[in-house]
Amino acid sequence: MKKLISVILAAMMVVLLAACGGGSKGGDTQYLFLEEEMGTESYAIGFKKGNEELAKTVTGAVYALVKDGTYAKIGEKYPDIKDYLSLKAEDINDADIPAKGSGDPNFTFKHGFDLDYPPYSYLKDDGSVGGFDVELAQAVCEYMGWKYESVPFNWEAKDMELNAGSCDCIWSGFTKEGREDKYTWGCTYSNNVQGILVASDSGITTLADLAGKTVGVQIDTSAAEMLEDSKKELADTFGELKTYETYTVAFNDLKAGAIDAIAIDMTAGAYLISNEAK
Amino acid sequence: MSWQVMLSSMGEGMLRTLAIFFLTILFSMPLGMVVTLLRRSKIRIISGITKVYIAIMRGTPLMLQLLAWYFGPYYLFGASIRGYRFAAIIIGFTMNYAAYFAEIYRGGIESIPAGQYEAAEVLGYNKVQTFFKIILPQVMKTIMPSVTNEIITLVKDTSLAFALAYNEMFAIAKQIAASQTSFTPYIVAGVFYFVMNYVVAFVMERIEKSMDYYS
Repeated sequence: MKKLISVILAAMMVVLLAACGGGSKGGDTQYLFLEEEMGTESYAIGFKKGNEELAKTVTGAVYALVKDGTYAKIGEKYPDIKDYLSLKAEDINDADIPAKGSGDPNFTFKHGFDLDYPPYSYLKDDGSVGGFDVELAQAVCEYMGWKYESVPFNWEAKDMELNAGSCDCIWSGFTKEGREDKYTWGCTYSNNVQGILVASDSGITTLADLAGKTVGVQIDTSAAEMLEDSKKELADTFGELKTYETYTVAFNDLKAGAIDAIAIDMTAGAYLISNEAK
Repeated sequence: MSWQVMLSSMGEGMLRTLAIFFLTILFSMPLGMVVTLLRRSKIRIISGITKVYIAIMRGTPLMLQLLAWYFGPYYLFGASIRGYRFAAIIIGFTMNYAAYFAEIYRGGIESIPAGQYEAAEVLGYNKVQTFFKIILPQVMKTIMPSVTNEIITLVKDTSLAFALAYNEMFAIAKQIAASQTSFTPYIVAGVFYFVMNYVVAFVMERIEKSMDYYS
Protein backbone atom coordinates (compact mmCIF):
# COMPACT_ATOMS: atom_id res chain seq x y z
CA MET A 1 0.00 0.00 0.00
CA LYS A 2 2.74 2.41 0.98
CA LYS A 3 4.55 1.71 -2.26
CA LEU A 4 1.43 2.28 -4.29
CA ILE A 5 0.83 5.64 -2.65
CA SER A 6 4.40 6.78 -3.23
CA VAL A 7 4.24 5.73 -6.88
CA ILE A 8 1.03 7.71 -7.34
CA LEU A 9 2.55 10.76 -5.63
CA ALA A 10 5.65 10.54 -7.78
CA ALA A 11 3.54 10.29 -10.91
CA MET A 12 1.54 13.34 -9.85
CA MET A 13 4.72 15.33 -9.36
CA VAL A 14 5.98 14.41 -12.80
CA VAL A 15 2.69 15.42 -14.40
CA LEU A 16 2.69 18.71 -12.50
CA LEU A 17 6.24 19.51 -13.50
CA ALA A 18 5.53 18.64 -17.13
CA ALA A 19 2.47 20.87 -17.02
CA CYS A 20 4.62 23.72 -15.72
CA GLY A 21 7.12 23.22 -18.51
CA GLY A 22 4.57 23.27 -21.29
CA GLY A 23 2.53 26.04 -19.72
CA SER A 24 2.93 28.70 -22.39
CA LYS A 25 0.04 29.06 -24.77
CA GLY A 26 -0.05 28.03 -28.43
CA GLY A 27 3.06 29.99 -29.31
CA ASP A 28 1.56 32.71 -31.49
CA THR A 29 0.34 34.77 -28.53
CA GLN A 30 2.28 37.98 -28.41
CA TYR A 31 2.63 40.56 -25.71
CA LEU A 32 2.27 44.24 -26.37
CA PHE A 33 1.65 47.59 -24.75
CA LEU A 34 -1.64 49.42 -24.92
CA GLU A 35 -1.24 52.55 -27.02
CA GLU A 36 -2.74 54.54 -24.18
CA GLU A 37 -0.03 55.12 -21.60
CA MET A 38 -0.48 55.51 -17.88
CA GLY A 39 1.91 58.36 -17.43
CA THR A 40 5.44 59.65 -17.89
CA GLU A 41 8.08 60.07 -15.22
CA SER A 42 11.84 60.24 -15.32
CA TYR A 43 14.80 58.33 -14.03
CA ALA A 44 17.48 60.25 -12.20
CA ILE A 45 20.44 59.70 -9.92
CA GLY A 46 19.59 59.95 -6.23
CA PHE A 47 22.18 61.09 -3.67
CA LYS A 48 22.01 61.34 0.08
CA LYS A 49 20.15 64.47 1.10
CA GLY A 50 22.60 67.34 1.29
CA ASN A 51 25.32 65.78 -0.85
CA GLU A 52 25.09 68.62 -3.38
CA GLU A 53 28.72 68.58 -4.38
CA LEU A 54 28.85 64.95 -5.51
CA ALA A 55 25.47 65.29 -7.23
CA LYS A 56 26.75 68.29 -9.16
CA THR A 57 30.01 66.62 -10.17
CA VAL A 58 28.37 63.38 -11.32
CA THR A 59 25.75 65.34 -13.23
CA GLY A 60 28.50 67.35 -14.93
CA ALA A 61 30.36 64.18 -15.85
CA VAL A 62 27.19 62.67 -17.32
CA TYR A 63 26.78 65.86 -19.37
CA ALA A 64 30.32 65.45 -20.64
CA LEU A 65 29.49 61.90 -21.72
CA VAL A 66 26.42 63.16 -23.55
CA LYS A 67 28.60 65.69 -25.39
CA ASP A 68 31.25 63.21 -26.41
CA GLY A 69 28.70 60.62 -27.54
CA THR A 70 29.46 57.94 -24.93
CA TYR A 71 25.93 58.25 -23.53
CA ALA A 72 24.34 57.51 -26.92
CA LYS A 73 26.86 54.77 -27.61
CA ILE A 74 25.98 52.94 -24.40
CA GLY A 75 22.30 53.46 -25.26
CA GLU A 76 22.84 51.69 -28.60
CA LYS A 77 23.71 48.54 -26.68
CA TYR A 78 20.31 48.53 -25.01
CA PRO A 79 17.75 48.81 -27.83
CA ASP A 80 14.82 48.53 -25.40
CA ILE A 81 15.67 51.83 -23.75
CA LYS A 82 17.52 53.93 -26.30
CA ASP A 83 14.35 55.74 -27.44
CA TYR A 84 13.69 56.90 -23.91
CA LEU A 85 17.06 58.51 -23.24
CA SER A 86 16.31 62.13 -22.55
CA LEU A 87 19.58 64.07 -22.45
CA LYS A 88 20.46 66.02 -25.59
CA ALA A 89 23.86 67.51 -26.34
CA GLU A 90 22.38 70.83 -27.54
CA ASP A 91 20.69 71.49 -24.18
CA ILE A 92 23.89 71.27 -22.22
CA ASN A 93 25.78 74.26 -20.97
CA ASP A 94 29.54 73.73 -21.19
CA ALA A 95 30.01 75.62 -17.93
CA ASP A 96 28.43 72.72 -16.02
CA ILE A 97 31.00 70.22 -17.22
CA PRO A 98 34.01 69.49 -14.99
CA ALA A 99 37.39 69.01 -16.65
CA LYS A 100 38.26 65.47 -17.68
CA GLY A 101 40.28 63.67 -15.04
CA SER A 102 39.72 66.44 -12.50
CA GLY A 103 38.43 64.07 -9.80
CA ASP A 104 40.38 62.92 -6.77
CA PRO A 105 42.13 59.71 -7.95
CA ASN A 106 41.82 58.25 -4.44
CA PHE A 107 38.04 58.62 -4.39
CA THR A 108 36.03 55.43 -4.81
CA PHE A 109 32.59 56.02 -6.25
CA LYS A 110 30.25 53.48 -4.66
CA HIS A 111 27.43 52.86 -7.10
CA GLY A 112 24.35 51.46 -5.35
CA PHE A 113 21.87 49.58 -7.52
CA ASP A 114 19.41 46.72 -7.72
CA LEU A 115 20.59 43.69 -9.66
CA ASP A 116 17.02 42.65 -10.45
CA TYR A 117 16.28 45.53 -12.79
CA PRO A 118 17.12 44.80 -16.41
CA PRO A 119 18.10 46.47 -18.63
CA TYR A 120 19.37 49.23 -16.31
CA SER A 121 21.26 47.05 -13.88
CA TYR A 122 21.29 43.28 -14.03
CA LEU A 123 23.29 40.11 -14.41
CA LYS A 124 24.24 39.80 -18.07
CA ASP A 125 24.33 36.64 -20.17
CA ASP A 126 27.99 36.08 -19.40
CA GLY A 127 27.31 36.29 -15.65
CA SER A 128 28.86 39.73 -15.20
CA VAL A 129 27.17 42.78 -13.71
CA GLY A 130 26.00 45.20 -16.37
CA GLY A 131 23.19 47.35 -17.71
CA PHE A 132 22.81 50.90 -18.94
CA ASP A 133 23.14 52.52 -15.53
CA VAL A 134 26.15 50.43 -14.57
CA GLU A 135 28.00 51.24 -17.79
CA LEU A 136 27.16 54.93 -17.54
CA ALA A 137 28.34 55.07 -13.93
CA GLN A 138 31.56 53.33 -14.91
CA ALA A 139 32.05 55.82 -17.73
CA VAL A 140 31.52 58.67 -15.25
CA CYS A 141 34.26 57.27 -13.03
CA GLU A 142 36.56 56.86 -15.97
CA TYR A 143 35.93 60.45 -17.02
CA MET A 144 36.55 61.83 -13.53
CA GLY A 145 39.47 59.56 -12.79
CA TRP A 146 37.70 57.91 -9.85
CA LYS A 147 37.72 54.29 -8.81
CA TYR A 148 34.43 52.48 -9.37
CA GLU A 149 32.87 50.11 -6.88
CA SER A 150 29.58 48.34 -7.46
CA VAL A 151 27.29 47.97 -4.46
CA PRO A 152 24.33 45.80 -5.46
CA PHE A 153 21.74 46.06 -2.73
CA ASN A 154 18.33 44.81 -1.79
CA TRP A 155 15.86 47.35 -3.20
CA GLU A 156 13.76 47.54 -0.01
CA ALA A 157 16.88 48.44 2.00
CA LYS A 158 18.11 51.13 -0.42
CA ASP A 159 17.53 54.07 1.92
CA MET A 160 19.29 52.37 4.80
CA GLU A 161 22.25 51.54 2.55
CA LEU A 162 22.45 55.13 1.30
CA ASN A 163 22.09 56.78 4.70
CA ALA A 164 24.58 54.42 6.32
CA GLY A 165 27.10 55.29 3.62
CA SER A 166 27.59 51.86 2.11
CA CYS A 167 26.85 53.51 -1.24
CA ASP A 168 27.16 57.06 -2.57
CA CYS A 169 24.05 57.07 -4.73
CA ILE A 170 21.00 55.13 -5.86
CA TRP A 171 21.31 54.80 -9.60
CA SER A 172 19.23 51.97 -10.92
CA GLY A 173 16.18 53.01 -12.93
CA PHE A 174 15.32 55.28 -9.99
CA THR A 175 12.20 57.40 -10.50
CA LYS A 176 12.47 60.98 -9.32
CA GLU A 177 8.77 61.94 -9.27
CA GLY A 178 7.21 61.62 -5.85
CA ARG A 179 10.65 61.46 -4.20
CA GLU A 180 11.84 65.02 -4.94
CA ASP A 181 12.32 65.96 -1.29
CA LYS A 182 13.77 62.71 -0.05
CA TYR A 183 17.08 62.89 -1.90
CA THR A 184 19.48 65.33 -3.45
CA TRP A 185 19.08 64.69 -7.13
CA GLY A 186 21.57 64.51 -9.94
CA CYS A 187 20.45 64.86 -13.55
CA THR A 188 17.50 63.02 -15.04
CA TYR A 189 18.79 60.95 -17.90
CA SER A 190 15.93 58.79 -19.13
CA ASN A 191 12.20 59.12 -19.56
CA ASN A 192 10.18 56.48 -17.86
CA VAL A 193 6.79 55.84 -19.41
CA GLN A 194 4.42 53.56 -17.55
CA GLY A 195 2.28 51.37 -19.71
CA ILE A 196 0.00 48.38 -19.59
CA LEU A 197 1.29 45.11 -20.97
CA VAL A 198 -1.31 42.64 -22.27
CA ALA A 199 -1.52 39.52 -24.41
CA SER A 200 -2.39 40.30 -28.02
CA ASP A 201 -5.44 38.01 -27.92
CA SER A 202 -6.83 39.42 -24.67
CA GLY A 203 -9.26 41.84 -26.30
CA ILE A 204 -7.99 44.66 -24.09
CA THR A 205 -7.14 47.72 -26.18
CA THR A 206 -7.75 50.74 -23.94
CA LEU A 207 -7.31 51.60 -20.30
CA ALA A 208 -11.11 51.54 -19.95
CA ASP A 209 -11.12 47.87 -20.98
CA LEU A 210 -9.23 47.09 -17.79
CA ALA A 211 -12.39 47.54 -15.73
CA GLY A 212 -12.98 44.41 -13.68
CA LYS A 213 -9.72 42.81 -14.84
CA THR A 214 -6.85 41.55 -12.74
CA VAL A 215 -3.70 43.64 -13.12
CA GLY A 216 -0.24 42.74 -11.80
CA VAL A 217 2.49 45.09 -10.64
CA GLN A 218 5.86 44.76 -8.89
CA ILE A 219 6.07 45.96 -5.31
CA ASP A 220 7.71 49.32 -4.64
CA THR A 221 8.06 50.31 -8.33
CA SER A 222 7.00 53.63 -9.79
CA ALA A 223 4.13 51.90 -11.62
CA ALA A 224 2.89 50.53 -8.30
CA GLU A 225 3.19 53.94 -6.65
CA MET A 226 1.40 55.60 -9.55
CA LEU A 227 -1.56 53.24 -9.18
CA GLU A 228 -1.78 54.01 -5.49
CA ASP A 229 -1.49 57.71 -5.99
CA SER A 230 -2.06 59.76 -9.15
CA LYS A 231 -3.77 56.92 -11.03
CA LYS A 232 -5.82 55.70 -8.09
CA GLU A 233 -9.03 56.21 -10.08
CA LEU A 234 -7.80 53.87 -12.78
CA ALA A 235 -6.71 51.31 -10.21
CA ASP A 236 -10.15 51.45 -8.62
CA THR A 237 -11.75 50.23 -11.84
CA PHE A 238 -9.60 47.07 -11.82
CA GLY A 239 -11.15 43.88 -10.55
CA GLU A 240 -7.99 43.27 -8.57
CA LEU A 241 -4.53 44.78 -8.33
CA LYS A 242 -2.03 42.05 -7.55
CA THR A 243 1.37 42.96 -6.14
CA TYR A 244 4.33 40.74 -7.02
CA GLU A 245 7.83 40.50 -5.63
CA THR A 246 9.29 40.60 -9.16
CA TYR A 247 7.98 41.21 -12.65
CA THR A 248 9.33 37.81 -13.69
CA VAL A 249 6.63 36.11 -11.64
CA ALA A 250 3.96 38.57 -12.79
CA PHE A 251 4.90 37.96 -16.42
CA ASN A 252 4.64 34.22 -15.94
CA ASP A 253 1.20 34.71 -14.45
CA LEU A 254 0.25 36.76 -17.50
CA LYS A 255 1.51 34.05 -19.83
CA ALA A 256 -0.40 31.43 -17.87
CA GLY A 257 -3.56 33.53 -18.11
CA ALA A 258 -3.88 33.98 -14.36
CA ILE A 259 -3.89 37.77 -14.71
CA ASP A 260 -5.03 39.97 -17.58
CA ALA A 261 -2.46 42.76 -17.67
CA ILE A 262 0.72 44.11 -16.11
CA ALA A 263 1.36 47.74 -15.20
CA ILE A 264 5.06 48.36 -15.76
CA ASP A 265 7.74 50.82 -16.81
CA MET A 266 7.79 50.43 -20.58
CA THR A 267 11.55 50.00 -20.77
CA ALA A 268 11.45 47.12 -18.30
CA GLY A 269 8.38 45.74 -20.07
CA ALA A 270 10.07 45.95 -23.46
CA TYR A 271 12.89 43.88 -22.01
CA LEU A 272 10.41 41.21 -20.89
CA ILE A 273 8.84 41.13 -24.36
CA SER A 274 12.09 40.98 -26.29
CA ASN A 275 13.40 38.27 -23.98
CA GLU A 276 10.22 36.28 -24.54
CA ALA A 277 10.69 36.52 -28.31
CA LYS A 278 14.16 34.98 -28.09
CA MET B 1 22.60 32.79 -20.73
CA SER B 2 24.21 29.40 -21.14
CA TRP B 3 23.84 26.62 -18.60
CA GLN B 4 27.51 26.82 -17.93
CA VAL B 5 27.39 30.48 -16.94
CA MET B 6 24.25 29.97 -14.88
CA LEU B 7 25.65 27.02 -12.99
CA SER B 8 29.00 28.65 -12.36
CA SER B 9 27.37 31.88 -11.11
CA MET B 10 25.09 29.91 -8.86
CA GLY B 11 27.93 27.65 -7.80
CA GLU B 12 29.81 30.75 -6.70
CA GLY B 13 26.72 31.79 -4.76
CA MET B 14 26.58 28.33 -3.25
CA LEU B 15 30.08 28.80 -1.81
CA ARG B 16 28.87 31.99 -0.12
CA THR B 17 25.81 30.11 1.13
CA LEU B 18 28.06 27.39 2.54
CA ALA B 19 30.22 30.01 4.23
CA ILE B 20 27.20 31.29 6.15
CA PHE B 21 26.09 27.76 6.90
CA PHE B 22 29.35 26.44 8.33
CA LEU B 23 30.26 29.56 10.29
CA THR B 24 26.79 29.70 11.80
CA ILE B 25 26.95 26.05 12.85
CA LEU B 26 30.46 26.51 14.19
CA PHE B 27 29.52 29.45 16.43
CA SER B 28 25.88 28.86 17.28
CA MET B 29 26.05 25.27 18.49
CA PRO B 30 28.57 25.95 21.30
CA LEU B 31 26.95 29.32 22.04
CA GLY B 32 23.63 27.53 22.36
CA MET B 33 25.12 25.37 25.11
CA VAL B 34 26.24 28.47 26.98
CA VAL B 35 22.79 29.98 26.59
CA THR B 36 21.20 26.80 27.95
CA LEU B 37 23.42 26.88 31.02
CA LEU B 38 22.57 30.55 31.59
CA ARG B 39 18.90 29.84 31.03
CA ARG B 40 19.05 27.08 33.66
CA SER B 41 20.99 29.23 36.08
CA LYS B 42 19.66 29.37 39.63
CA ILE B 43 20.35 33.08 39.72
CA ARG B 44 17.06 34.71 38.75
CA ILE B 45 18.50 37.73 36.93
CA ILE B 46 20.68 35.64 34.67
CA SER B 47 17.97 33.18 33.72
CA GLY B 48 15.52 36.07 33.32
CA ILE B 49 17.77 37.99 30.92
CA THR B 50 18.44 34.81 28.97
CA LYS B 51 14.71 34.19 28.71
CA VAL B 52 14.19 37.66 27.24
CA TYR B 53 17.02 37.08 24.77
CA ILE B 54 15.49 33.80 23.62
CA ALA B 55 12.05 35.39 23.38
CA ILE B 56 13.37 38.18 21.14
CA MET B 57 15.41 35.86 18.95
CA ARG B 58 12.52 33.48 18.43
CA GLY B 59 9.79 36.07 18.41
CA THR B 60 11.02 38.38 15.65
CA PRO B 61 11.75 37.57 12.00
CA LEU B 62 15.35 36.67 11.27
CA MET B 63 15.37 39.07 8.33
CA LEU B 64 14.58 41.94 10.66
CA GLN B 65 17.33 40.83 13.03
CA LEU B 66 19.84 40.80 10.18
CA LEU B 67 18.92 44.35 9.20
CA ALA B 68 19.21 45.41 12.84
CA TRP B 69 22.65 43.83 13.27
CA TYR B 70 23.98 45.43 10.12
CA PHE B 71 22.46 48.90 10.24
CA GLY B 72 22.19 49.12 14.02
CA PRO B 73 25.74 50.34 14.67
CA TYR B 74 25.26 53.17 12.19
CA TYR B 75 21.86 54.29 13.40
CA LEU B 76 22.69 53.95 17.10
CA PHE B 77 26.28 55.19 17.21
CA GLY B 78 26.91 56.66 13.78
CA ALA B 79 29.65 54.07 13.30
CA SER B 80 30.99 53.35 9.83
CA ILE B 81 29.70 49.98 8.63
CA ARG B 82 31.96 49.61 5.64
CA GLY B 83 33.21 46.06 5.27
CA TYR B 84 31.01 44.87 8.14
CA ARG B 85 28.35 43.19 5.99
CA PHE B 86 29.53 39.60 6.22
CA ALA B 87 30.28 39.82 9.93
CA ALA B 88 26.79 41.19 10.55
CA ILE B 89 25.27 38.26 8.70
CA ILE B 90 27.24 35.72 10.74
CA ILE B 91 26.43 37.50 14.01
CA GLY B 92 22.75 37.66 13.09
CA PHE B 93 22.51 34.00 12.15
CA THR B 94 24.60 32.84 15.11
CA MET B 95 22.63 34.78 17.71
CA ASN B 96 19.34 33.58 16.27
CA TYR B 97 20.28 29.94 15.92
CA ALA B 98 21.97 29.84 19.33
CA ALA B 99 18.58 30.63 20.86
CA TYR B 100 16.93 27.73 19.07
CA PHE B 101 19.76 25.33 19.83
CA ALA B 102 19.67 26.40 23.47
CA GLU B 103 16.05 25.41 23.77
CA ILE B 104 16.69 22.09 22.05
CA TYR B 105 19.57 21.39 24.46
CA ARG B 106 17.42 22.39 27.41
CA GLY B 107 14.68 20.03 26.33
CA GLY B 108 17.25 17.26 26.13
CA ILE B 109 18.83 18.03 29.50
CA GLU B 110 15.50 18.27 31.28
CA SER B 111 14.33 14.98 29.81
CA ILE B 112 16.98 13.14 31.84
CA PRO B 113 15.30 11.65 34.91
CA ALA B 114 16.47 12.80 38.34
CA GLY B 115 17.47 9.20 39.12
CA GLN B 116 20.47 9.58 36.80
CA TYR B 117 21.81 12.49 38.86
CA GLU B 118 21.17 10.63 42.10
CA ALA B 119 22.91 7.50 40.82
CA ALA B 120 25.90 9.56 39.70
CA GLU B 121 26.09 11.19 43.10
CA VAL B 122 26.01 7.83 44.83
CA LEU B 123 28.83 6.66 42.61
CA GLY B 124 30.91 9.63 43.69
CA TYR B 125 30.78 11.75 40.52
CA ASN B 126 31.04 15.46 41.08
CA LYS B 127 28.73 17.90 39.28
CA VAL B 128 30.99 18.53 36.29
CA GLN B 129 31.72 14.86 35.83
CA THR B 130 28.04 14.00 36.11
CA PHE B 131 27.16 16.53 33.41
CA PHE B 132 29.85 15.55 30.91
CA LYS B 133 30.08 11.82 31.54
CA ILE B 134 26.50 10.84 32.39
CA ILE B 135 24.04 13.48 31.27
CA LEU B 136 25.52 14.93 28.06
CA PRO B 137 25.98 11.61 26.21
CA GLN B 138 22.32 10.81 26.77
CA VAL B 139 21.24 14.33 25.87
CA MET B 140 23.19 14.25 22.59
CA LYS B 141 21.39 11.12 21.62
CA THR B 142 17.88 12.40 22.29
CA ILE B 143 18.34 15.80 20.71
CA MET B 144 19.89 14.63 17.44
CA PRO B 145 16.64 14.55 15.41
CA SER B 146 15.73 18.08 16.54
CA VAL B 147 19.22 19.33 15.80
CA THR B 148 19.04 17.82 12.32
CA ASN B 149 15.75 19.65 11.79
CA GLU B 150 17.30 22.92 12.84
CA ILE B 151 20.36 22.49 10.64
CA ILE B 152 18.21 21.71 7.62
CA THR B 153 16.18 24.84 8.31
CA LEU B 154 19.42 26.79 8.49
CA VAL B 155 20.41 25.65 4.99
CA LYS B 156 17.25 27.18 3.65
CA ASP B 157 17.34 30.23 5.91
CA THR B 158 20.69 31.29 4.45
CA SER B 159 18.68 32.79 1.60
CA LEU B 160 17.60 35.54 4.03
CA ALA B 161 21.08 37.02 3.74
CA PHE B 162 19.84 38.69 0.55
CA ALA B 163 18.23 41.29 2.83
CA LEU B 164 21.76 42.57 3.45
CA ALA B 165 22.59 42.36 -0.25
CA TYR B 166 24.86 39.39 0.27
CA ASN B 167 25.02 37.60 -3.04
CA GLU B 168 24.28 34.08 -1.88
CA MET B 169 22.83 31.46 -4.16
CA PHE B 170 19.18 32.42 -3.96
CA ALA B 171 19.91 36.10 -4.57
CA ILE B 172 21.79 35.11 -7.71
CA ALA B 173 18.93 32.85 -8.77
CA LYS B 174 16.60 35.83 -8.43
CA GLN B 175 18.89 38.04 -10.47
CA ILE B 176 19.22 35.50 -13.24
CA ALA B 177 15.47 34.91 -13.20
CA ALA B 178 14.96 38.66 -13.68
CA SER B 179 17.48 39.00 -16.48
CA GLN B 180 16.34 35.87 -18.33
CA THR B 181 12.62 36.16 -17.48
CA SER B 182 12.69 32.49 -16.64
CA PHE B 183 11.89 30.21 -13.74
CA THR B 184 14.73 27.83 -14.47
CA PRO B 185 17.15 29.43 -11.96
CA TYR B 186 14.62 28.89 -9.18
CA ILE B 187 14.36 25.21 -10.06
CA VAL B 188 18.14 24.96 -10.15
CA ALA B 189 18.26 26.66 -6.73
CA GLY B 190 15.74 24.14 -5.46
CA VAL B 191 17.94 21.27 -6.62
CA PHE B 192 21.00 22.87 -4.99
CA TYR B 193 19.19 23.20 -1.67
CA PHE B 194 17.80 19.70 -1.91
CA VAL B 195 21.22 18.18 -2.54
CA MET B 196 22.75 20.16 0.33
CA ASN B 197 20.03 19.03 2.69
CA TYR B 198 20.32 15.47 1.49
CA VAL B 199 23.98 15.54 2.43
CA VAL B 200 23.16 17.12 5.80
CA ALA B 201 20.52 14.49 6.53
CA PHE B 202 22.91 11.72 5.49
CA VAL B 203 25.74 12.97 7.68
CA MET B 204 23.43 13.51 10.63
CA GLU B 205 22.07 10.01 10.28
CA ARG B 206 25.59 8.63 10.38
CA ILE B 207 26.32 10.65 13.50
CA GLU B 208 23.11 9.43 15.09
CA LYS B 209 24.03 5.83 14.31
CA SER B 210 27.46 6.28 15.82
CA MET B 211 25.74 7.38 19.02
CA ASP B 212 23.63 4.31 19.63
CA TYR B 213 25.88 3.36 22.51
CA TYR B 214 23.05 2.37 24.82
CA SER B 215 21.07 0.08 22.59
